[in-house]
Amino acid sequence: MNTSNAVGERRQRFDRLVAVYYMDMFRYAAWLCRDRSIAEEVVQEALLRAWKSLDALRDAAAAKQWLLTIVRRENARYFERRRLETIDIDNLTASQSALLAEAPNEELNDLREAIYGLEDDYREPLVLQVLMGYSTSEIAEMMGLKQGAVLTRLHRARLKLKEDAADEENS
Amino acid sequence: MSQTNDKMNCTDYKKALTAEPGFHDESGHVETCAECRAYSEEILALDKSLNAAMEISVPQLVMPELPDIETENVVSLSSHRRTPKPVWYAIAASVLLAVFVGVRMTGPDVPLAEQVLAHVDREPAALQVSSKPVSDRQLSRAVPKNMATMNHEAGLITYAQSCSINGNDVPHLVIQGAKGPITILLMPEEKLAEAMTLDGVNVKGVILPVGNGSIAIIGDREEQLDQVKENVLNSVMWST
Repeated sequence: MNTSNAVGERRQRFDRLVAVYYMDMFRYAAWLCRDRSIAEEVVQEALLRAWKSLDALRDAAAAKQWLLTIVRRENARYFERRRLETIDIDNLTASQSALLAEAPNEELNDLREAIYGLEDDYREPLVLQVLMGYSTSEIAEMMGLKQGAVLTRLHRARLKLKEDAADEENS
Repeated sequence: MSQTNDKMNCTDYKKALTAEPGFHDESGHVETCAECRAYSEEILALDKSLNAAMEISVPQLVMPELPDIETENVVSLSSHRRTPKPVWYAIAASVLLAVFVGVRMTGPDVPLAEQVLAHVDREPAALQVSSKPVSDRQLSRAVPKNMATMNHEAGLITYAQSCSINGNDVPHLVIQGAKGPITILLMPEEKLAEAMTLDGVNVKGVILPVGNGSIAIIGDREEQLDQVKENVLNSVMWST
C-alpha cells in the first residue's frame, strides 16, 4: 500500500462519515445559530476541521458525537469572529426567517418559533436530547455541564414551550 | 429529579418527566396517578411535535475543498508484508529489515513508527496463530505493575515479552484477532500529539496517544481494528 492508497482510504472513511451524519450536523448547527446560511458556513468549517483531524477519531461508535462537538466549536468560533448581536425574533433576516418559514403547518410553525425563541442554554440541550437522541449524561459531557444542570435546563425548556403553546391557544 | 425515589410524588414525577420524557419511573407512581398519566401523555406528545418541528430541511451537501493531508501521519509501508506464520520462520531477520529500505517516513514521530515496525519484524516468532493464552505470571512479568496494569479484555493474549524501544522497556504483546495475530506495544514513555496511521500491503495499524504514552496496534489488513483498539484501550491503564 502506498501513500496515495492510504490517503484514498482515508477519504473513503471520511465520505462515509459525512454521508451518515451530514443531516445531523446541519440541523444541529442550524438550531445552534438559528440561521440557515450561517449553519451552512459552520458545517463547511466543521467538515474541514473533521477532515484534518480524522485520525483522532479512534472509536467509530463515537463518530456522531465527535462531529457534533466539532460543529459546536465551529459555531462558537464563528460567533467569536463576528461578534454578532443577539437575534431579535421580531426583526429577522431572510436567512433567519427561512428556518421558520418552511414548517408544513401552523402548529409546527408556532412550535418552531417557540424553539427559536428559547435561550441558547435551553435550546441546545433540547435539540441534543429530542433531535439527536442523546441521554442527559451524554449532553452534560458534550456541553461541559453537570447532569443536574442539564436536567434543570431541559425541564425549564419544556415548561417554557408548554407555556408558549398555552398562550398561543388563549390568544 | 431523582429517578429512583421510592416515594416519588406528583411534583417529583412531573419534574423528572419534563426534563427527561424517557425516564423510567421505578417508583411506579404513574401507574397509580391518573393526573400524572395524563401529564406523561402530554409531554410525550409535545416531544413528538418538537421532533417534527426540529427536523428542518437540509440543503444538499457541498463538500468543501479538502486539503491534502499531511503525509507524516500516514506511514507508508510499501513493501511491508505479513505472511502466515510458518513462512515467517523461514524468512531471515535481515531480509525482513530490508523491507524498510525505501519506506517513506517523514515528520517528528516517524522515527517511533519506524522503530515500532522494525521491532515487529525482528520478532516474527511472536506472530503465531495460537489458542494458548500466556499465563498471568508471564503477563505480569511483561507488563510490570509499576508501569501499567492490563487485564485479558484486550483479547486472547498469546505472547508477552518485555522488549526495548528507544531505550525504554516496552511490553510486547500479541493477541489473536479474527484475521490473525495482532501486535500490541505498550509505550508509556512515548508521548504522541495525535494518532499515527500505519498502512501496508497486508497489514495496517495505528499508534494511539494514550495519556503521557502511546500504544501501537498492528494487525492484518482485513482485521477490524476499531473494536480491537477499543478493547485494548479499555484493558490497559498506566500506573504513572
